Amino acid sequence: MNDDPARRDRQRRFAALCEPLRPDLLRFAFWLARDRALAEDVVQDAMLRAWKALDSLDDDARVKPWMLTIVRREHARTFERKRLEVADVDALVEAEASVLATDEDAAVAEMREALFRLEDDYREPLVLQVMLGHSTDEIAMQLGLTRGAVLTRLFRARQKLRAALAGEGPETTS
Amino acid sequence: MNCLEFRRQVGAEPFTADPAVAGHRAGCPACARHQDELQAMDRLLGKAMQVGWVPGIPAPRRWVAMAASLVAGVLVAATLWLSWPAPTLASEVIGHVMHEPGAWSAAGELPPAEVAEALDSSGARLRPGSGTVTFAKRCFFDRHWVPHLVVQTESGPVTVLLLGHRDVAAATHIDDQGFSAVVLPAPRGSIAVVGQNVAGLDAVARQILDAVEWDA
Repeated sequence: MNDDPARRDRQRRFAALCEPLRPDLLRFAFWLARDRALAEDVVQDAMLRAWKALDSLDDDARVKPWMLTIVRREHARTFERKRLEVADVDALVEAEASVLATDEDAAVAEMREALFRLEDDYREPLVLQVMLGHSTDEIAMQLGLTRGAVLTRLFRARQKLRAALAGEGPETTS
Repeated sequence: MNCLEFRRQVGAEPFTADPAVAGHRAGCPACARHQDELQAMDRLLGKAMQVGWVPGIPAPRRWVAMAASLVAGVLVAATLWLSWPAPTLASEVIGHVMHEPGAWSAAGELPPAEVAEALDSSGARLRPGSGTVTFAKRCFFDRHWVPHLVVQTESGPVTVLLLGHRDVAAATHIDDQGFSAVVLPAPRGSIAVVGQNVAGLDAVARQILDAVEWDA
């Protein structure tokens, strides 16, 4: 069965398109789940789904948004399937201290923790924009939001981060 | 575009290529500085998001991780408490400088107004003739926005951070990762000067400290 040429082509296509994305997908899943073990589970399951659904990917150039969508859905499914409770953010920070810590620059570690504590609705578009380089329109498509809603979330996300880094309470936003 | 519209747009898209943003920025130094700050924050944010991941090492399961982290945490904390010195301010400064490599390569003397703009909110000014400044921004450091300059001295380029929020009792000097850093007490907080292969960095740092005027 492994000698099937069609299957070998499929394996080559998957390896060329999807495997190189794994590091970015892991980081994306980590910032979604804020849990390294969960992020690895999510990406592994997403890879399996991608393998099964590879024939539905019409345009190879769209593989990254396609995979990100699978990861987002898999993350949501994982929470639903495992009935995970929303964890206390202090416990999450403590559990992932080794990932958040850096010996390079204290400011980076502080920013990581501030980002960790940011609400999901603000953190996700910010990760898509800053880490993955998505445009506002691409984020809107990915999250199923209007362009205006994405701009508002990005604006407020930065306000909240600035307030957190300055040691202030939550800012009011106009 | 007015200031409010500008700030809303760059607050969501700090690196926008919108010509209206560029037009407003050119005529409004305060908004330009605001955008610079947001861009600096985004650069830091980008670094923060690049969490390290060691391929091939499976993540521990939740309960294993919790148990292991409890035991390891106690051991590590005890070890650190007993033996590991806290990172010094000078080493933090070197860490910051290593993440701003673009600052070192900036060429060309900045106009005095641009240098003054970076220093203004810290209540400091650089005396005329204090050296050629090739980089002047405000950066996130230790939860504060601080002036970050690169000054071309006779001994070579040095990075200067004015740390108005950090008092130090005495001068410190460290050499780390190819950089040298000197932190001196200043009339307001402290001043850090960092260089690579700069002869007499301590003396250079004192000259720079003398070249800064502070508001009363």
